[in-house]
Amino acid sequence: MRSYAFFALKRLIQLAVVVFAGTSAAFLVAHFSPISPVETIIGRVSGQSSFSPAAIESLRATLTELFGFDEPLWQQYLNFWSRFIRGDLGPSLIAFPTPAMELVMRALPWTVGLLTVAIVLAWLLGNILGGLAGYYQNSRLLKGFGVIAIGIQPIPYYITAFLMVVLFGYIWPVMPISGGFAMEIRPAWTLDFILTVLWHALLPAASLVLAGIGTWFLGMRALVSNIVTEDYVTYAELAGVRRGTIVGGYVIRNALVPQLTALAMALGGIFSGTIITEQVFSYPGLGTLLIRAVNGGDSGLVLAVSCVAVIAVAAAIFVIDLLHPLLDPRVKVG
Amino acid sequence: MRFTALATASSLALAACAGAAIGQEEGAAPPITEFPRDQTLILQNPEPPATNPPNFNIWVAGNGAGWSTGLHQLVMDTLWFIDPDEGLDGPLYNQLAAETWQYNDDFTEMTVDLREGIYWSDGEEFTAEDVVFTVETQMETPGMTWSAAFSDVVETVEAVDDYTVRFTLQEPNSRFHALFSVRWNGAWIMPEHVFSEVEDVMAFQFNPPVGLGPYTLHSFDPNGYWYAWEKREDWDRTALAEWGEPGPQYVIYRSIPTPDNRLIEMANGNLDVIHDLTPEATFSIIEDRETARGWFPGFPYAHPDPTLPMVIFNTQRAPFDDRRVRWALALMLDARAISMASYRGAATLSAIAMPPTGTHPDDYHAPMQDWLIDYELDLGNGETIQPYDPSIGSQIAEMVRPQFGEDVPTEEAAIQRAFGFGWWRQDLEAAATLLEAAGFTEGRGGWMTPEGEPFEFEVNTFTDGVINRMGTMIAQQWTQAGIEVTPVADPQIFASTLPLGDYDVATAWSIETWGGDPDLSYFLDSWHSDFVVEPGERQPARNWQRWSSPALDGIIEEVRTTEFTDPRNLELGRDFVRLMVDEMPVIPMMAYNVFSVYDTEYWEGFPTAEERPYANIVNNWANSKYIFTQLRPAGQTEGD
Amino acid sequence: MLTTIRDLFRYNIEFRIGSILVTVIVLYSGLSFFSPYAPEQIYVVIPDQPPSLTYWFGTNSRGQDLFWNLSFAFRNTLVFGLIVAVLSRVISIVVGMTAGYMGGMTDRVLMFFNDIFVALPIFPILILFYFVLRNDLDTYTLALIMACLGWAFDARLIRSVALGLRHREFTRQATFAGMGPVRIMVEEHLPYVMPIIFSTAMANMIWSIGFEVTLGVLGFTNLNIPTIGTTLYWANSHSAMLVGTWWWIMIPVILIILTFLGLFLLAVSINEHIDPRSRLRRMGGAE
Repeated sequence: MRSYAFFALKRLIQLAVVVFAGTSAAFLVAHFSPISPVETIIGRVSGQSSFSPAAIESLRATLTELFGFDEPLWQQYLNFWSRFIRGDLGPSLIAFPTPAMELVMRALPWTVGLLTVAIVLAWLLGNILGGLAGYYQNSRLLKGFGVIAIGIQPIPYYITAFLMVVLFGYIWPVMPISGGFAMEIRPAWTLDFILTVLWHALLPAASLVLAGIGTWFLGMRALVSNIVTEDYVTYAELAGVRRGTIVGGYVIRNALVPQLTALAMALGGIFSGTIITEQVFSYPGLGTLLIRAVNGGDSGLVLAVSCVAVIAVAAAIFVIDLLHPLLDPRVKVG
Repeated sequence: MRFTALATASSLALAACAGAAIGQEEGAAPPITEFPRDQTLILQNPEPPATNPPNFNIWVAGNGAGWSTGLHQLVMDTLWFIDPDEGLDGPLYNQLAAETWQYNDDFTEMTVDLREGIYWSDGEEFTAEDVVFTVETQMETPGMTWSAAFSDVVETVEAVDDYTVRFTLQEPNSRFHALFSVRWNGAWIMPEHVFSEVEDVMAFQFNPPVGLGPYTLHSFDPNGYWYAWEKREDWDRTALAEWGEPGPQYVIYRSIPTPDNRLIEMANGNLDVIHDLTPEATFSIIEDRETARGWFPGFPYAHPDPTLPMVIFNTQRAPFDDRRVRWALALMLDARAISMASYRGAATLSAIAMPPTGTHPDDYHAPMQDWLIDYELDLGNGETIQPYDPSIGSQIAEMVRPQFGEDVPTEEAAIQRAFGFGWWRQDLEAAATLLEAAGFTEGRGGWMTPEGEPFEFEVNTFTDGVINRMGTMIAQQWTQAGIEVTPVADPQIFASTLPLGDYDVATAWSIETWGGDPDLSYFLDSWHSDFVVEPGERQPARNWQRWSSPALDGIIEEVRTTEFTDPRNLELGRDFVRLMVDEMPVIPMMAYNVFSVYDTEYWEGFPTAEERPYANIVNNWANSKYIFTQLRPAGQTEGD
Repeated sequence: MLTTIRDLFRYNIEFRIGSILVTVIVLYSGLSFFSPYAPEQIYVVIPDQPPSLTYWFGTNSRGQDLFWNLSFAFRNTLVFGLIVAVLSRVISIVVGMTAGYMGGMTDRVLMFFNDIFVALPIFPILILFYFVLRNDLDTYTLALIMACLGWAFDARLIRSVALGLRHREFTRQATFAGMGPVRIMVEEHLPYVMPIIFSTAMANMIWSIGFEVTLGVLGFTNLNIPTIGTTLYWANSHSAMLVGTWWWIMIPVILIILTFLGLFLLAVSINEHIDPRSRLRRMGGAE
């Protein structure tokens, strides 16, 4: 037990270092963007009325000072860390002076809610079916699944999502194709609201499951068909252990280890995976926010979204690392 | 077991997230509201979902507040509106002002009489104090939307009495009223009684907004995708009431970023007005849906906005500082192919630097047709040609007739309005003569510059839509004529490329007019040489070509001292057009035709090109507010 | 080597179908070198023509012959996907197997860098590269960037397999027999890792092409270069699906499915060939 605690502590330090390196990279990425939020704002404001060069110069000076861009980069970097430690990521520049974190927190629940459920669902279904297909290699039904999975997997996700909009929104218009909830219903803890949220999430979630399930299915099938040839499985079969026990207890369990690692990464990757979903289904979330931040040169907001992403991925890896020795006793702690 | 645990954990996570989402909402509105379809108008807002949805402070630059969410169409108001089309009662509306502007003799003072009996949506009366506060606050607080514009020209502003405001200007300026005249938007009046209580105007969210328009905020999406507005009970105490009672009880503006989803929503009856579609989708929905139509009843359907897509040369860079090169490039273009490629033929071409829209064809295009036909271009070697071809419009009409049949007009006058009065004839020989006169040589691999380098450059254009298609086609035609030209899809074209002069050639626009008035000051004043900056510095809107000439300055200076309604302005405008033809600092192409589509299943009374062109159907214009007064539920007659 | 391929082709139907599909697609991409039209030219044929004998794949709303245009798109996309897959495979095999086999400090250091790469927010980085490079961001540059970002995920996967192998009996025996770590990794462990490498190579190609499509659909890419992503971008900006020019979207999708079906069948049959036990099992199952 002590050795496990030591192992966990080491992993925790590693987590901190990864977060540090990742957010520093994000800081640099955000600050080397050639798009200037100051120029973007001047462009919008001065686009509709006549501004003299002098007036533009004074507006630029005002904004530059307001955003703290007049300081050298290393100073901005230090400022960033002193704020970051206090959980403050500074103001958004395209929604000045609203804190960037506030915008992120507004969008985050939608993204995390939709994507977590969809990814976990796809993972569960894909792995169960894939595991069975890997073990019962002669089942026609499971072979059929395999063919479908191979066929669906390479279709660009944008097409899958868009086809669902066309099918269920246009040709057979039964589902809502935009928004997170119905306009008539106010956000509140009511049954109506929960139902409308679920109803609106159904189509985007289905598209994500459809797009994600194939990869898990094929990966698991490959892993399992590899494991079933292992000696211990053959021994178990010879020893007359029930097939169900072999599949669930020995085969799938061992194959799950790499798949769980992959799940952690997939969950971490939701921050970049959500953009197309949001575009196609006009669904609220972080992807749209990120695109707008990048287009507006809002380094503060890009940084906030990126930091949340870095922390989420690093934390997922951390948790998986902690689980790893528990799931696979062959892995030595230490 | 483990699966069950995972499933439980993730559903818990989902519940927690939903809780967080709900936590943000104040929850003042009742849980469910009905928007009865026959009392609700639903429009598309072309802005992306608001970055900062609960912010309605339109006076602060860059705070993430949406503008065309209904906020500036339904709630904001100011002194005058100038319609890009004919208007209900002429293009000029006295809105909060009781009558038009009054200047003193040397244009250093402007006096405004305000309407009486107008009330803010919270019951406070609108007075001269509000106007004074609006101007003074923004002058005192740099970084607000109109701070720089006011600080530049206003000396003092005072309330003579409750209903009279007098502005004293730093310099003579006959167009000061333009700041308060809405063309798309204008300087909106702030509620003094609200903002004077606010400590930090810049950080103030202004939620819910208090306005002078006939609607108030009903509810909005915390994610910024839609805003719902409800008609004020005292709508008759607003300035708009003079033109009638707004029809819809509720108005909803929805942000729908994907064009395909707009089409689907309209097909499903969930959207009454689409701000803009692709040409292809427009043709498709008008064919499929009985009740859907565009501005024109037939081809080309789209509304020509008073904006002029064009080829812009960076005239501070060689060789685009040479008018012979610019003219040569113009003569290499085939306008028919550009019209087909960009608008599938649904473009309204213009050979002159004037959008062929609103009242401009009557003021400029038709009267100047003979001058254009006779126009002679000197090729530099003693030869001259007459480059204008008045038949281009009808040639395009013939090209699209096989596909659209009876929807394509046949009379010459109608063709001219829809497809344009004519354009420059493609003339590669004359172009070659001009380039040779400018020192270029034609080698086997194409044109070489006077310095002996291959003549190659990039064309910055939009990332999609008709302007992108136009830019791609133009680049291709130049390439075929022996110049190596690459189109660049540039997402920052208006934000930084054009203002910072970081380009050789671009397709965008530097000419936007009132549309309903021959006066050109709206864009032309900023073309004065005083505004042209050094290369690398930021050019103020809109002289992106950074071109100046003493003749142009002469015209602008005379406009500045000529009263807005003086017929002399039309003469000056025509002088400007002739100068632009001679110099070709931009190659004018066509009107910016916006494929707005509206559906008459639930609402009738929209403006139409053929019968009642009283307003611009393009609904992100604040000027579109007059449409609401004309709308009636479908199936009812005017008298109901 | 050649005999192996001949045998596979003769006796393995999966290999046969797979190699035919892949060959057809590769030949089709190669046709782009003989295209009568430059890929960036628009309005060279009548737009919106459905597939016919004249235009096998139809023409799009930009007036391009899709048969030729898609041959460019497939060439660029496949080359892109292959470069990413090969480069990132090399990195992930080296990192994953080394970390898994060596363990200890080496493992921790490698996984530290690995985790940084996994945690990097890829999307903002890619968009940033686009904004900085603009039209200089060609297929090869993007492939290089993607390869540098796309190995970490699979290196971890390979490591976890290698980690399991390390404690296995035969590893210990090999060590006692005096085999060096490199030999053990290459000769003893690599065959176990190979199926993962093939299946992750497929997944990686799907991943990188998926990113290419995402960037393309959003317009964050050089739109003058025909790829699957830019094809969909232009189809989308002309509302192809809703206005009835379905071939503009469906034909590239079908081709892409056939491509990956072919690759998948090849990977499966080669995997079986490498791993003798599943071949035996397969023969046993057929009895």
